[in-house]
Amino acid sequence: MLARLRSLFRALASRRDFEAGMTEELRFHIEQYTEDLVRSGISLEEARRRARLEFGGIDNVKGDCREARGLLIFDELGREFHYAARQLWCNPGFTVTVALTLALSIGANTAIFSMVNALLLKNLPYAHPERMGAIYTRVTGPRGYDERHNLAGEQWELLRDNVPALISAVSTRGTSGVNLQAGSQAQYLHAARISAHYLDVLALQPTLGRNFSEDEDRPHGPKTAILSYSLWRNAFGSNPAVLGQSILLKGEPYTVIGVLPEGAATPLNADLYTALQASREGEGTGTNFEASVRLRAGATWQEADAEISRAWSLRTDRYELKDNPGAQVKYYCVPLQKAETARLRPQVLTLMLAAGLILLIACANLAGLTLVRMMRRTPEVATRLALGASRWQIQKQFWIENLLLALVGGAVGTGVGFVALRSLLLLLPEHFLPAVRVSLDGRVLAFTLAVSLLTSILFGMLPALATRQVDLRSSMSSRAIAGSGGQRLREALITGEIALTVVLLAASGLLVRTLIHLETLPPGFNPNGVMAGKASLDDARFHSPAALRKLMDESTAAMRQIPGVQNVAVGLSLPYERSLINGGLTISDSTGTGQQVETDEIYVTPGYFEALQIPVLMGRSFTERDGPDAQHVAIINQTFARKFFHGANPIGHYVGRNILIVGVVKDVPVAPGVDPGAPLTGEQSMYIPYTQADASSLPLLHGWFQPSWIVRTDGPVAGLTAQMQRALASADPNLPFSGFYSMRDLLAKTLTMQRVEVALLGAMAALALLLSAVGIFALVANIVAQSTREIGIRMALGSTVRQMMIHIARTGVGASALGLVLGLILCAGALRAMRSVLYGVGVYDALTILVVLLTLSAAALLAITLPTLKVARIDPARTLREE
Amino acid sequence: MGKTADLLPGTLDMLILKAVSLKPLHGYGVLLRIRQISRAALEIPQGSLYPALYRLEHQGLIAADWGQSDNNRRAKYYTLTTAGQRRLREETAGWNRLVSAISAALNTTSEEV
Repeated sequence: MLARLRSLFRALASRRDFEAGMTEELRFHIEQYTEDLVRSGISLEEARRRARLEFGGIDNVKGDCREARGLLIFDELGREFHYAARQLWCNPGFTVTVALTLALSIGANTAIFSMVNALLLKNLPYAHPERMGAIYTRVTGPRGYDERHNLAGEQWELLRDNVPALISAVSTRGTSGVNLQAGSQAQYLHAARISAHYLDVLALQPTLGRNFSEDEDRPHGPKTAILSYSLWRNAFGSNPAVLGQSILLKGEPYTVIGVLPEGAATPLNADLYTALQASREGEGTGTNFEASVRLRAGATWQEADAEISRAWSLRTDRYELKDNPGAQVKYYCVPLQKAETARLRPQVLTLMLAAGLILLIACANLAGLTLVRMMRRTPEVATRLALGASRWQIQKQFWIENLLLALVGGAVGTGVGFVALRSLLLLLPEHFLPAVRVSLDGRVLAFTLAVSLLTSILFGMLPALATRQVDLRSSMSSRAIAGSGGQRLREALITGEIALTVVLLAASGLLVRTLIHLETLPPGFNPNGVMAGKASLDDARFHSPAALRKLMDESTAAMRQIPGVQNVAVGLSLPYERSLINGGLTISDSTGTGQQVETDEIYVTPGYFEALQIPVLMGRSFTERDGPDAQHVAIINQTFARKFFHGANPIGHYVGRNILIVGVVKDVPVAPGVDPGAPLTGEQSMYIPYTQADASSLPLLHGWFQPSWIVRTDGPVAGLTAQMQRALASADPNLPFSGFYSMRDLLAKTLTMQRVEVALLGAMAALALLLSAVGIFALVANIVAQSTREIGIRMALGSTVRQMMIHIARTGVGASALGLVLGLILCAGALRAMRSVLYGVGVYDALTILVVLLTLSAAALLAITLPTLKVARIDPARTLREE
Repeated sequence: MGKTADLLPGTLDMLILKAVSLKPLHGYGVLLRIRQISRAALEIPQGSLYPALYRLEHQGLIAADWGQSDNNRRAKYYTLTTAGQRRLREETAGWNRLVSAISAALNTTSEEV
């Protein structure tokens, strides 16, 4: 078998040598034979004749030889492809339309499938990714969920010590800002904290130095750091001597123990890593750790799941069962790849579905175009049939033409997909995708090829079936080009693609409406004229309340000196951002019922509400007098007041440990913390003076959140950000801002997912609209071309141009209208799946539907009108002359 | 010329293998050699010789190489490969079995039944 393949391959590869060798060999034979015949006394002339005769037809022998090599089928295919290519070359209009349609639709599919491939199919870029996992918690009961739940300190210790089947590790969720003093320059970096075996779970070995030891991961252990390769290169000039040296990080000396390899990405994607040093205390009292595991050699996932369940049933704090009586809890491992991409999975699958619809629409168009072309070629087909071609031969020819078109479209489509993917990745913000690489790899190319082949089958099938009914006699004799059956089929195709376009347009319309709703939520404050900058206070220099107070006082005072600045304040978080959640507060009111409260908690400097212009609705704002030793006070927002005081006056009530509520402010939109759901909500919030924040929890707080300095100006101020940085430096010369942003930037950042969805689905819907318009245009243009005779005759008999135009347009309008109705019916079912991503707009939104109908009607009318105008140019006299 | 016999189907390959097993031959040489070793009893249709050679080469039973003919012309010479030797042995044995079985059958007289 192998030898045969090799021989066939050799013959194919050096086809010219094969043919020349064969010719020479056969000629040699004939000449030798001729010579022998001459030698036996026959005349040269006669000898030649006999040699040829006895040898038989040379071309037949050659054909037999080729067949013996398995070349025949390739020769035939080659000829057919050559013929098909010539056919397509002679119809450039048709070929270009088809190739472009295919390129756009296959390109869209290629780009989206690259995302599916990277996020859902490809393995994570680590050794033995199938042995990596994350732990999911499935809780049944009234407050059930099934997700990757974060761990508390007790859970972590039990997982680490009592699950021998796994190498387990935990880390912080994402990164936080830290200050690095490198030389005279202070830098703001993204740091993550990881447990001892985190890098072992990822199977990453530092290129220099080593991973964290268990000793370094103990609470109060030695302070050590591992650098990412890029930080090592950029901040330390790739100097290997940095290993073992002390760097000034978070205001304290840390020993560098390792440098990660170049290009090694962790799911955290940090500039630098420090040991987590997790315990049951501090942050370990809450579920603040994210676990990743690797199955040890010889262990199975079933063993791991059983060990986890056993270990975690020993816990004293089974928080899953709180407020959830009778719940069943189950822990199980899922592949890390799945856990890391769970967030994006529905979005990506939706896009893939949309891309599939685009492909269907394209196929409907192409089937229509091919059908027309087939009908035009009916005389040719009939002639070939009459000359003895088999139906199979004719069918094969058509299929080969379709295949060729699909392959050309696929090739161009791959290029389009590459460009589309590039721009798509540019559109995504940094670190939006987990640690995966999105590229056009072998699998994507195989997918594109498969899609191209599938397309050629889909759009070739209907026309091929249609030609099976070519009737020899009637086709030869009549001049009719297309049967009415083909016409009706085309109308059905147009109806179908319009229906799908309605669905895509409506879906993207609903997303646009959602984005508009979120972007135009009543802000509750004045977002204009505010500039903000974050700085990391996760720094030993600012742990003491006195140092913090000095920093706040001096920096805000310096910023107030900037000309044009009206107000300056600092807040732990800002509107549109996620806030700290305090879940352990009790309201002690006069009735003494002691409601439990879970609320956002934001520490602010005096002047925060004035700087953001958040209206104080009742009571008072904070002042300088709300110091650490004064009565602890809080200001709550409307939602808080409504939820926990039910319309009663909250002022004068106490919350938590003797904190007096002194005011109520308007709600501002924030990223959800208490109730995950909408990307922006107005959930309950409680503001406290930063001076009264619990001093012992400040270091923890600042490890999670970087407070923002906000400056309100009365107009544009030249060099504002540089002046803000200088003002901060006057309070502390080694405290850098992470960057500066307006409230508009913050809003955009929070709504990244929505913007990306709108952009992608919008692009698909636009593509669908374009394809549908092209489809309708082609349908009507073809009707005009076919009916020229009929129109000419009718006009000669007294019909007006107007009547004829209406007569022609009727078909297009009918098909489009039916498509719209069908599309609306489809929407009723399909759009319900979108409910979870829609905010501020219902699934059946009249405005969206109306706009979709108007847009599609306008596009359809345009596509019908343009070719119909040709009717006016038909000259009845000439048509009749030609008859 | 003596009496010639038609080739049985499938025997041409066997004869070609036999011919080239004796000495590397070009196509015309194969024709002559078969005529010679069959004492001119077997006549090979010239047109079917080359497809058979190509098929055998394709199957890896013979190998082809360009060389010089007796009268100093470029010619393609065929030699038997190891696989070809094995095949020839098998075919020869099979043929002999077939021939003895058939002749035994044909030579049976009525007393032996």
